[in-house]
Amino acid sequence: MSKISRRDLLQYIGAGGVGTGAGYLFAEAIKRPVEFLIPPVVPPEDYSPGVATWYNTVCNQCSAGCGISVRTREGRAKKIEGNPAHPVNQGRLCARGQAGLNALYNPDRIRAPLKRVGERGDGAFETISWDEALTQVAGRLGRLKIEDRADRVQLLTGGIRGHLGELFEQFITLLGSDRYAQYDFTYPANLRLANRLSFGIEHLPYYDIANCDFLLSFGADYLGTWLSPVHFSLGYGQLRQGREQRGRCIQIEPRMSLSGANADEWIAAVPGSEGVLALGIARILVADGTYTGSDRDAWQRALEPYSGDRVAAATGVALERVQQLAAEFGSSKASLAIGGGAAAAGTNAVASLVAVNALNHLAGNLGQPGGIIFNSAPVFGSATRHAGLTQMTELAASMQDGAIEVLLLHDTNPIYAMPDAAGFADAMAAVPTIVAMSSFMDETTAMADLILPTDTYLEAWGDDAPEPGVGLPVASISQPVVARVYDTRSVGDIVLSLARRIGFELPVALPWANTKEFIKDAWKKLYTELDPQADAADFEEFWLAALQAGVWGRVEATGGPGDAPAPSTIPDIDAAAATFAGDTAEFPFILHPYLSATLFDGRGANLPWLQELPDQMTSVVYGSWIELNPATAGELGIRDGDLIEVESPAGSIRAPAYLFPAIEPGVVAMPFGQGHTAYGRYAQNRGVNPVQLVALQSDQQSGELAWAGTRVKLRNTGERARVVRNDGISRTLGRQILHPEENHA
Amino acid sequence: MRSEVDMSNVLDKLREYSKPGYYDEFDYHWTMTIDLDRCTGCEACVVACQAENNLPIVGEERYAEAREIKWIRIERYWEGEFPDVKLNFIPMLCQHCDEAPCETACPVFATYHNQDGLNTQIYNRCIGTRTCAVYCPYEVRYFNWFTYTWDEPLEQQLNPDVSVREKGVMEKCTFCIQRIRMAKDNAKDDGRRRVRDGEVVPACVQSCPTEAMSFGDSNDPDSKVSQVMNSPRGYKVLEELNTVPSVIYLKKVHDDV
Repeated sequence: MSKISRRDLLQYIGAGGVGTGAGYLFAEAIKRPVEFLIPPVVPPEDYSPGVATWYNTVCNQCSAGCGISVRTREGRAKKIEGNPAHPVNQGRLCARGQAGLNALYNPDRIRAPLKRVGERGDGAFETISWDEALTQVAGRLGRLKIEDRADRVQLLTGGIRGHLGELFEQFITLLGSDRYAQYDFTYPANLRLANRLSFGIEHLPYYDIANCDFLLSFGADYLGTWLSPVHFSLGYGQLRQGREQRGRCIQIEPRMSLSGANADEWIAAVPGSEGVLALGIARILVADGTYTGSDRDAWQRALEPYSGDRVAAATGVALERVQQLAAEFGSSKASLAIGGGAAAAGTNAVASLVAVNALNHLAGNLGQPGGIIFNSAPVFGSATRHAGLTQMTELAASMQDGAIEVLLLHDTNPIYAMPDAAGFADAMAAVPTIVAMSSFMDETTAMADLILPTDTYLEAWGDDAPEPGVGLPVASISQPVVARVYDTRSVGDIVLSLARRIGFELPVALPWANTKEFIKDAWKKLYTELDPQADAADFEEFWLAALQAGVWGRVEATGGPGDAPAPSTIPDIDAAAATFAGDTAEFPFILHPYLSATLFDGRGANLPWLQELPDQMTSVVYGSWIELNPATAGELGIRDGDLIEVESPAGSIRAPAYLFPAIEPGVVAMPFGQGHTAYGRYAQNRGVNPVQLVALQSDQQSGELAWAGTRVKLRNTGERARVVRNDGISRTLGRQILHPEENHA
Repeated sequence: MRSEVDMSNVLDKLREYSKPGYYDEFDYHWTMTIDLDRCTGCEACVVACQAENNLPIVGEERYAEAREIKWIRIERYWEGEFPDVKLNFIPMLCQHCDEAPCETACPVFATYHNQDGLNTQIYNRCIGTRTCAVYCPYEVRYFNWFTYTWDEPLEQQLNPDVSVREKGVMEKCTFCIQRIRMAKDNAKDDGRRRVRDGEVVPACVQSCPTEAMSFGDSNDPDSKVSQVMNSPRGYKVLEELNTVPSVIYLKKVHDDV
């Protein structure tokens, strides 16, 4: 925020033609400490006392890419609301998105560049100047480049999309390395691979929940955590009450999620059997003639093994119910099958998702309203450097071998979000120099030698093209909504100033003075490329309009291929059985971890509003818990609040028991998100991290961590632990609160 | 010219003004509808309210003592047992009752009904007897047992349009009265007598991802809220207590096959 000096103020007074008497009084008035004075003449244009200014930008709390409008007053951000013009969220916003203010004004942000002084991980740092920090990093990188060893530089970031991802890409390439990886725990790599196998299109399609009559979800918590929850929630509202015919929703999952609670039917299938169930339904669709394609015979042969009895036995879902599902799926005008959550995180995840895709094809939903509508590729900057378990294990091995000399980190926390057995933390010890560009002291950042504090997304420039898209090409610019709270820099600015300091061809190839200029330049290219007739001189107008609107897009749809899936998928249709780490006799329960609808994959744990927001299904705040079926608990003599030791082949943690009425008896569930050993006062030393229980197994096709593929055993420690919750008596006990006795269709 | 006041007229007016729900004929009657068939229990509204109304972060210890402050919360009600088990959500906030039990309880008139049909709480009149909270059948009144503080610099987020409450004061949902005031001021500046439908949007309603909530003036038969509240699914929670709430819920549809 620019300050108005006393001299300026006097000039304004002169220019405003205020009488000398008043001028004298004003001059006297401003001799007092300025903090008591709001300049009475023309303040900066976004700074009118008492009047809110709204800035449009992009939410960064998950990868849905919702547009947000931030209300600011007197240069402070006050509230985040959805941007009504943005087609993804249409003015709405989830709890996590709104809690972004807690990230901006978080008391535990890193406030200045830090240099390690003690041993690694001790947490002892001293403050240094930006100049010193950048000189050190640039010097290290420059020396490696001179010695032609720049391929020993590894850049590891979160799932960065948009032009910023391209900037990283260019930077690392110009440096002479191709080591750039993105580790994002929630990246839908299995779904993308399945879609590529089924449809030949990897980028995510549009799932048209709003217009669908029968929604069959295999584990995808589309109302809480799956891909684009706000957009799907809008669709769900529409499906329920926004049209003539109310749509139906079925949720198939071993533990009821938020979407399961809202479904008309919640079906607890055996974990990992979702693909078998999908193919069982598919077989019926082909057999009963719902599918009439020319390759019907081939499908029939491929689906032959999925007979009703076999499916019922494998999934634990009664045969009649499978038949009912098939009948309804086939006969509904618009039906849609989606897969996600634990069903997309087993050892057979890709195969299961391909099976779900096959259902959509057989019912003729592809390219249809209420089905799967293919998007054209995002306007720019899809995240392409995603690293799954395989790549991360390889990276850890390279680090152990001494092949990495400098590790540059940004916005990713593999020490927390990867099982200890993957050895990433140990491998980091073997890297001579670790530089973290980070806003918070998370577990991974705490291991760095040098920390360059970054702006939060509410203080920085950037852009994003949402994925899954909404059927139209759409993109948004991120802009700072307030001046920096601390002595931080945007990660783009850091990369650009490193480039300038390193020299060689970098400053020529990356000539921008700051991220804003870089983004603006990228949009200028976009502007002229997309519309060659456009007058480049009008760009400034376009830029301002796009900034102001918070979104830019084209109204006419440029449809992708909306036809049949690639025929090659048919012979591949095979729902391999999921394998679970751990012997059935020794580890009798299947662990069902799930993304928290409040803390997500753990990135929300440092936001006090989210810590204090009751978990939607259990009402628990500020801690971890393990959910088990009341009947199971009864057999084991476990009561609500008993401290349970949960042991898997990979590790063991302790958490209080929560008797959860909607979970299969052989399954125990835990949310991700808690159990941080760092990450600020709200997150640190609170609850446990179920990632530590996950055995190192990956999906057979994608190499992604199969975080839903571990068995555990339970031991009652005999101790009691506090579970802070506010649900009180969670039955209506005959009180007419919900009026369930009367039904209206 | 008459020299004496027509007392019967004054008494008529008095009777009229003291009649419950007199604002049905005068100013506005702010009303909210919540469609439980759309509501998913996602709690976007809870955080929206926390941000808008400067609700404190009470911390784990205070939360464990049931001293959390959430002007709107999601109540959960389980039905049935595994495997035929259901979880129902219902957002619960101050119902702004026409016949509010809390209003009759307050010894210092800190809570009263205003001309818009809002059940309001005057913080600096409240002496903290907590009687109103005992009388409220919806349990939506929250007491400040402590003066809560914000870890620096979280206080920079505080909404300057809403006062921060201190120890000893009862608080609750205001239907975002600051937004109502703002809309009225804007209408006045535009030379309009009344606020247009849709101009007042409380924070919870604004955030709702499924568009389950609507808000407006039920005196205006054309307002969205008037249309929605006439749905055959409409009901009021604990209606039998004759509190006459201003929040109308629309029943969830159960169409199990």
